[in-house]
Amino acid sequence: MKAYLLLFFISFATLCIGQNKTVAVGEKLVYSASYNMSGLLTDIAQIKMETSEVKTSKSTLMRLKCTATTYEKWDNFFKIRDLYESYVNPKTLTPYLYKRDISEGGYYKFMQYKYNHKANLVKSLKRKKRKDGKTWDENKNVTIKPSTKDIVATLYYIRNLDIHKANPGDQQDFTVLFDNEENVITLKYIGKETISTKIGTKECYKLAISLKGSDVLRGKNANLLWLTADANKIPVYAKFKIPVGNGELKIQSATGLKN
Amino acid sequence: MLKKLLIALGFIAAILAVVLAVTPLSNLSVIPIIVAFVCGLLILLISKKEKSKTKTIQYIFIMVIIALSLTIYKSIFSTSEIGNTDQLEQRDEENLEDSKELLEDIEIDEDF
Repeated sequence: MKAYLLLFFISFATLCIGQNKTVAVGEKLVYSASYNMSGLLTDIAQIKMETSEVKTSKSTLMRLKCTATTYEKWDNFFKIRDLYESYVNPKTLTPYLYKRDISEGGYYKFMQYKYNHKANLVKSLKRKKRKDGKTWDENKNVTIKPSTKDIVATLYYIRNLDIHKANPGDQQDFTVLFDNEENVITLKYIGKETISTKIGTKECYKLAISLKGSDVLRGKNANLLWLTADANKIPVYAKFKIPVGNGELKIQSATGLKN
Repeated sequence: MLKKLLIALGFIAAILAVVLAVTPLSNLSVIPIIVAFVCGLLILLISKKEKSKTKTIQYIFIMVIIALSLTIYKSIFSTSEIGNTDQLEQRDEENLEDSKELLEDIEIDEDF
């Protein structure tokens, strides 16, 4: 009897953790990405994060879409039109399909991951454009860990964590599939901080991000993310260290929130 | 010797300022503008002491003025607006339709 009770509690607990309580269908977050060199700010691109509902004949999924668009003044120099999307289970935010369709200054690349969670397998498709305009495909099967997600789904999954239960200094690892390789991202909770944003002064959870075994996100606590310390946990501000200066991501507007 | 060094530094800074002012990174040209201006002033002081005339000062100052006016003009009149996104929206639509087909055979498992 005791064993059954314990089993019931464990399954109930995992169910509670897995539930999506933060991300609503129809949510739209708009950001401005800028380059900051000792206080001299230059706007580079607009980043949008949107969610919507996608219905198939058998199921209803949530589409998480992120787009990056350079501002007009940059278009003649380096035009970016990126599209990242992930189709997830609306209740648990588990991804089923991921697509990355990027166009950056004449360079085009398309990546697609179709998840098979039962077999821990991802069917990956890479499409690139040659100089003459023709495309070529590359198919691959990638074995993944059960918890591996793509970058978009991870971003939304982080918002669904119970950060209010964490103590400053706590950290957690996430496995992210990017370019057919599994990368481990470590997220560390630093503490609460109140910052002023376009959508008002907010109390935020301050998190540090680092990528294991890579130089891309280097430095101690140099790449930071601020999530509002409320039920929505909106990412309002992010700061990334680059060789000269900082990259910044600031929120412009947030609509369609769940809570 | 010092004068030559200042001339070289002033010229490089002034050219960099003009180049930066033309690109969308015009905000950053403030730094080389200041460097070039200070160099120009120092060269001017040294030339006055030596009572010699230096043409390079004029060139440096002209470039500083060009870069500064471009930077100020851009910071006042340029707005951060996104360009044409028709192509992106089209790809967005195509991807959505394609995804719906791909997801047709997927059944959501509540365990995951």
